[in-house]
Amino acid sequence: MRARIREANTGAVVKLSGKISVGAGDLKLEEIVGSLLESGKKRIVLDLERVSYLDSSGLGSMVACQKAAAEKDAELVLLRPTGKVLDVLILTGLKQFFAIFQDESVALAGPAPAEV
Amino acid sequence: MARENIIEIRFGSEIQHVDLVHSVCDSISAHIGLDENQALNLGLAVREATINAIKHGNRNDPRKKVCVHFRYTRNQVTVSIRDRGEGFNPEATPDPRLPENIHRPSGRGFLMMRAFVDRVEVASDRSRGSIVRLFKKAPGRGSVRKREGSPAPSAMGG
Repeated sequence: MRARIREANTGAVVKLSGKISVGAGDLKLEEIVGSLLESGKKRIVLDLERVSYLDSSGLGSMVACQKAAAEKDAELVLLRPTGKVLDVLILTGLKQFFAIFQDESVALAGPAPAEV
Repeated sequence: MARENIIEIRFGSEIQHVDLVHSVCDSISAHIGLDENQALNLGLAVREATINAIKHGNRNDPRKKVCVHFRYTRNQVTVSIRDRGEGFNPEATPDPRLPENIHRPSGRGFLMMRAFVDRVEVASDRSRGSIVRLFKKAPGRGSVRKREGSPAPSAMGG
């Protein structure tokens, strides 16, 4: 998993690519989000457009990141999940758990989620 | 009858081996002609079963071995993942989609396995560990071979 972070006022966009999976990607994701929350970010956007797949550990990390954000009165939202990533979110019922957006500026601003 | 091939990988219970198993699975998928989506489905199912065997079966104990056994023909692949843990009842695993479980960071592996292959079987024993068997057909081979004038492959067993 690779990650590029772009900070914007009280939010941040984490552009992910590759796979979010057990052993490296899942822990790295929690570390990145944890660090952004510690720095006071209140809205974290995970851009999943270039993520090829995630396994159950990657999903678990995203859930853990969401919980960590909620504990700091922040929110973690998803941007443009596609292909197998979207399949897995739907399969596991997590499409309803996360707010999902198609537009980055809207995702950062935070109104009602768009339909995927 | 299609020729059968067997590849077996045995390793200590360390999570670093999951990618290796997935890579072997990808190679077999390419060999038997699964398309990209089917190959990723099979790879994810094998990945989940292997993670379960390492983490939940063998409790990340590197002295305990996990064995991943691939048996494949041009028409189908069966993957058996064995651990040396205390066994489990797959029917007793809670549904991760229920509202009371949706916040849990784990428990989605079996759901993914069942969704991504044609059939999942579990044999579990407290003294001998668990074997998870994943079955996946390789659709499309039959029609290709018919066009080439070869005999149609035999139907998948099970």
